[in-house]
Amino acid sequence: MDLFNNLILGFHVAASWENILFCFIGVLIGTLIGVLPGIGPTTGIAILIPVTYGMSATTAIITMAGVYYGAMYGGSTTSILINLPGESASVMTMLDGYQMARKGRAGPALGMAALASFIAGTFAIIMLTFIAPPLASYAISFGPPEYFALTFMGLTLVSTLGGDKPLKAYISAILGLLVACVGIDAISGVARFTFQSVNLLDGVGFIGMAIGLFAVSEILVNIEEPIKQVFSDAKLGFRSLFPNLRDWKDSFGALWRGSLLGFFIGTLPGSGATLCSFIAYAVEKRVSKHPEKFGTGAIEGVAAPEGANNAAAGGAMVPLLTLGIPSGGATAVMLGALMIHGLRPGPLLFSTNPQFVWGLIASMYIGNVFLVILNMPLIGIWVKFLKIPYKVLIPLILTISATGIYATDNNVFDMWIMFFFGLVGYVMRKLDFPAPPMVLALVIGRLVEMSLRQSLTISHGSISIFFTRPISGVLTVIALISLFSPLLRVAWRKLVMSKLKV
Amino acid sequence: MKEGDLITGIVLLVLSGYVIQEAWQMPPSATFAPGSGFLPFWLGVILAVFATILFVSAWHRQATEKDSKPLFPGKQPLLGIALVLVGLAGYILLIEVFGYLVDTFLFIVFLMKVVEHEKWQLTLMVAVSATAALFITFQFLLQIKLPSNMFGF
Repeated sequence: MDLFNNLILGFHVAASWENILFCFIGVLIGTLIGVLPGIGPTTGIAILIPVTYGMSATTAIITMAGVYYGAMYGGSTTSILINLPGESASVMTMLDGYQMARKGRAGPALGMAALASFIAGTFAIIMLTFIAPPLASYAISFGPPEYFALTFMGLTLVSTLGGDKPLKAYISAILGLLVACVGIDAISGVARFTFQSVNLLDGVGFIGMAIGLFAVSEILVNIEEPIKQVFSDAKLGFRSLFPNLRDWKDSFGALWRGSLLGFFIGTLPGSGATLCSFIAYAVEKRVSKHPEKFGTGAIEGVAAPEGANNAAAGGAMVPLLTLGIPSGGATAVMLGALMIHGLRPGPLLFSTNPQFVWGLIASMYIGNVFLVILNMPLIGIWVKFLKIPYKVLIPLILTISATGIYATDNNVFDMWIMFFFGLVGYVMRKLDFPAPPMVLALVIGRLVEMSLRQSLTISHGSISIFFTRPISGVLTVIALISLFSPLLRVAWRKLVMSKLKV
Repeated sequence: MKEGDLITGIVLLVLSGYVIQEAWQMPPSATFAPGSGFLPFWLGVILAVFATILFVSAWHRQATEKDSKPLFPGKQPLLGIALVLVGLAGYILLIEVFGYLVDTFLFIVFLMKVVEHEKWQLTLMVAVSATAALFITFQFLLQIKLPSNMFGF
């Protein structure tokens, strides 16, 4: 019983006082970030990298993962009470959650959101526990061509699945790869694109870039369109939070469908929790016997997206831990954090760092228990946090970000990197260029280049090496299909249209 | 958005030209293996292709409703964004002159008073407590030496 032993090892790691404490701090911050509109989990995780810099890799990632799935819980509170998404994955929860609150059923809506999150979140971790190890062991015999094919596939999938603008996503990824080229070339020692700056010899710092692209640009966008703050006067006793038997009956189907959909769609690189909650809501409406009740306060309209976004947070860990491919912005930043801590995410992680992987997985079981406690009996506290004006948050986010960046290297130059990418990120948001492909490209850029050049050295310059080896062949083909899928989609549409005309 | 895409296309084309030129001048590898300029060169080429597609497709696209909306906000919010950026730049420039405590305090006061027009009471409360909390967290709990001024704080 390898799995059983591994889980025991994991709980042994996760149950150290330090890891329990930071798991708790992580889910606490996550809930807070989820509750507060205008600051999302990606920003939260980016800001945390410098703070967790001095910790062990396991503790650091346990904290960050806690922020990620914690935000999925917290977001629903804001959606239900004030009809404003606390973060993007809880947009769908607003539709029925807020209507329930208006009908005086805020309690059961919040309760169902928390319990659905717990059930689906735990389900996803169980699935992760069983699915990730065989996937990782399958991918263990990776050489340079396989690594190149894998990273190539990751980049194309994150770009095509992440949004409706694949061209802009590709450009974003290319720019990220170019940023990764800055600095001394690890193979030949040549300085590239350093503009004669000593500070750029080591390359562009990932932390500064991530915080700039996500945290600073988010603030700039929110200054442009200030968040309207509305307060809720809902009375929330602990007893009022429990959904009644009928609510459970109505939500039962939504719960298991949301969990399954969320987990499996969440494992696809580039999908993200937001997409999963959209799909889960749409499916629930489709299969419902009373689709007309959706949008008027149907509790299954809360259970489905809330279950799905939490299951997706667990599902996103599968490609991250087994292949080193993130599913969106938040996991891309976590991948960067892993690399900073000297871990090379990918198939080998399970065999080289079992205490890390299993410690993280076990901590997620524990974190979900913390979260259901934080979000049920203590819900009243979070409602009070909604009264913090966003104006106060702006200086706090900026100073925490800047201080953290300085702290990682005692270098003011990294703060300028943050400044620069804050500006770049703002312009990118305005022009509809997605940031996650760029961050991912910077994180894995060096690996892409190394594996590409090593492969071509092995093959004496022939690119056939990426197609003739079975694993890299499959991965390259998937990458190419994904790369050209926008064109295929257009061609398909034209074909169908011409058939229709005839 | 149409106008934005056209301008972005041109900017990216110029950038790709610069990248290709730089990559071309990088020394080739001593062996038959790809050298330092290999990846940047091809990235530059692909970027040029994508930038051209972006430009051409934006050129041919019918202007939609979204295109008629101005890309960047009006004067008032733009001023707010500019002020935040100026403040942040000033904060970074002066952090090793004023020292962490003074600089951070002033930065928060600037953001709340000049950018957000908050009351003095709230401004000072947030500035003092946030500066203190950050200083204690980083300097003492995380044991990181934050910049100090010539008077040693």
